[in-house]
Amino acid sequence: MSSHTHSPARRVSNVPHEAWYAAALSTEVGSTPLARRVLGQRVVLFRTSTGQAVALTDRCVHAPVALSEGRVQGDEIIAPYSGFRYDASGTCTSVPSQERVPYGARVHAYPVHEDGSFIWVWPGEPALAALRRPPSTEWLRDPAWTTFGDQVETRASIRLMQDNFADITHVTHVDPEIAPPALGDGPPPPLEVQVSETSVSFWREYPPAPMPAWQSLVMELPAWRRLPQREEGEFVSPGLWVDRWTVDLEDGRSARWIFTHALTPVSENSTRHVWRVSRDFSPSPAVDGTVTPLFTRYYQRVRHLLEDMQRIVDEDGPVFEVRVAADAAGSQVRRIMDRLVADEVGVRD
Amino acid sequence: MSEPTTTHVSERECDVVVRARRLVAEDVVELTFGLEDDEELPAWTPGAHVDLMLAPDLLRQYSLCGSPNDRTYQVAVLRAPDSRGGSMAVHELPEGARVRIRGPRNNFPLVRAQRYIFIAGGIGITPMLPMIEEAIASGAEWSLHYGGRSRSSMAYLERLAAYGDRVHVVPQDEAGLLDLGSILGSPDDSTRVYCCGPEPLLAAVEALCSAWPPGSLHLERFAAKDVVREGADQPFEAVLQRRGVTVTVGADESLFDAVRAAGVSVLGSCLEGICGTCETGVLEGDVDHRDSVLDAEEQEAMDTMMICVSRCRGERLVLDL
Repeated sequence: MSSHTHSPARRVSNVPHEAWYAAALSTEVGSTPLARRVLGQRVVLFRTSTGQAVALTDRCVHAPVALSEGRVQGDEIIAPYSGFRYDASGTCTSVPSQERVPYGARVHAYPVHEDGSFIWVWPGEPALAALRRPPSTEWLRDPAWTTFGDQVETRASIRLMQDNFADITHVTHVDPEIAPPALGDGPPPPLEVQVSETSVSFWREYPPAPMPAWQSLVMELPAWRRLPQREEGEFVSPGLWVDRWTVDLEDGRSARWIFTHALTPVSENSTRHVWRVSRDFSPSPAVDGTVTPLFTRYYQRVRHLLEDMQRIVDEDGPVFEVRVAADAAGSQVRRIMDRLVADEVGVRD
Repeated sequence: MSEPTTTHVSERECDVVVRARRLVAEDVVELTFGLEDDEELPAWTPGAHVDLMLAPDLLRQYSLCGSPNDRTYQVAVLRAPDSRGGSMAVHELPEGARVRIRGPRNNFPLVRAQRYIFIAGGIGITPMLPMIEEAIASGAEWSLHYGGRSRSSMAYLERLAAYGDRVHVVPQDEAGLLDLGSILGSPDDSTRVYCCGPEPLLAAVEALCSAWPPGSLHLERFAAKDVVREGADQPFEAVLQRRGVTVTVGADESLFDAVRAAGVSVLGSCLEGICGTCETGVLEGDVDHRDSVLDAEEQEAMDTMMICVSRCRGERLVLDL
């Protein structure tokens, strides 16, 4: 049927819309409506009485009021001020002042995928969502892994953030205390980068080196112990980075870290960043108590640096920037992002 | 002075298992691959293909013809006599066989458009199957013109029958060749033409699309990846257009070094064709691309090159320097 839908306009131009982005944590959405911006679009999230997560355009069709300021009743959300009711498909099911619902009154309903950690939404063409698997983050729900983390809105574009995750050689300079000594010992080992059509992964193998003091402590190893270590990073999709750090314990076992980053553009220059640190050893709360403040501080420092970068770009504009061999993975990520955007927009060569 | 290699860029490779095989036409077998532990294969979009690595120097490319949503990859293989038996070998792969694949990569992506004309010849139907699903999902208008020797040789006719009269099946023994003049007779700038099939079909479509707006036509040629370089590097001339200077690049020096030796300041960093810093505009000449930055389309366009590793196929390049 024809519809008077507030079709989401393309507000953030340099980011793929035909992709899954984490709009919220599963634990953030219930029968209290939650307002979020995804790629500059106003989205309201709530759950129906059966627990199904719903994402709709956060704006009533009758008046410019946010549905998120209204309330959920049963399987519907009721807009404030107008009293219009909408169901999970975004269809307006009743209005207070007349029997007949205005023909075609509906708001846009975003395809939603819930995996137990995140509520992923698809800001592009809804029918295309069924043709793209959402990214998986199953370790976040696996009892073999202990996870902590936080989320923060960073006033930097997702493109700047992706440049950041594509290369970890900055870690030593940003936070010498958290950084593995392996990173600071002269020129890094060879960087291996593997690309496929829409993803990039990279890794480096470090020869035996000591761990940072905090890591020796939580792994209950002597500080002098030198062990082989491996750095990995993966651009899984525009909305998800997964980095890893593995320590070989020399008896065939290894201690592994996974750093999960769900990135959701809020606007052209602002990104919601959910970060999670997972480990498959030493699950005790005491270890959480030791490492949580360290990582929280580290990610805060990164955030401040990224926000400074965005400010400089906003004030002075972009300039040609010198690249180095360590940017190989980041260059490939940029190319994929640019190509995905060009295909969506239908740019002619 | 070049530093030892510190960065290596390559394409993803996986060892997969044949989970199913079935005959979908005379001489055409559909193979379904999955990872041993049912882990996720790399994501892809319509138009993508993978290399099947049958031997270190024997690669065959096949378009992915399933759905990007699948946990498996599907390809359809035409048994065709070829000098090294590559496609025969793939055709014979039994269920349970292990094979190494590389990629996927995509030189044939489906770009958003209001309308599509899909033209397939023979096994060229394979990349179009996921494209059709995508076109439908995006709300575009589309039509498919599918030619082949005979119905029995043409794969996926039952699957395509579900789409009704948007699909025109034209077996040569019943209806002759595709009437390309009529199919492509109305150029317009909101339509994209996608074509895949044997070389004579591609050539004919290319010729007719010269009357269309530039960029309307997308072709997939299943050309083997050229890796082998025959013979030593040759010297060539590089004209630096803006400075009005001509530089001779010796057989044993890079274009980057030659340009710098001539006193022209150019940026370079990794000097391995990886980081893209030395990317330079090309105004004339055939580039011998040896970098890891440009994709096939960009390489073919020859508008740009990485001067630290790439050279000239002929005798002269004109650069935007």
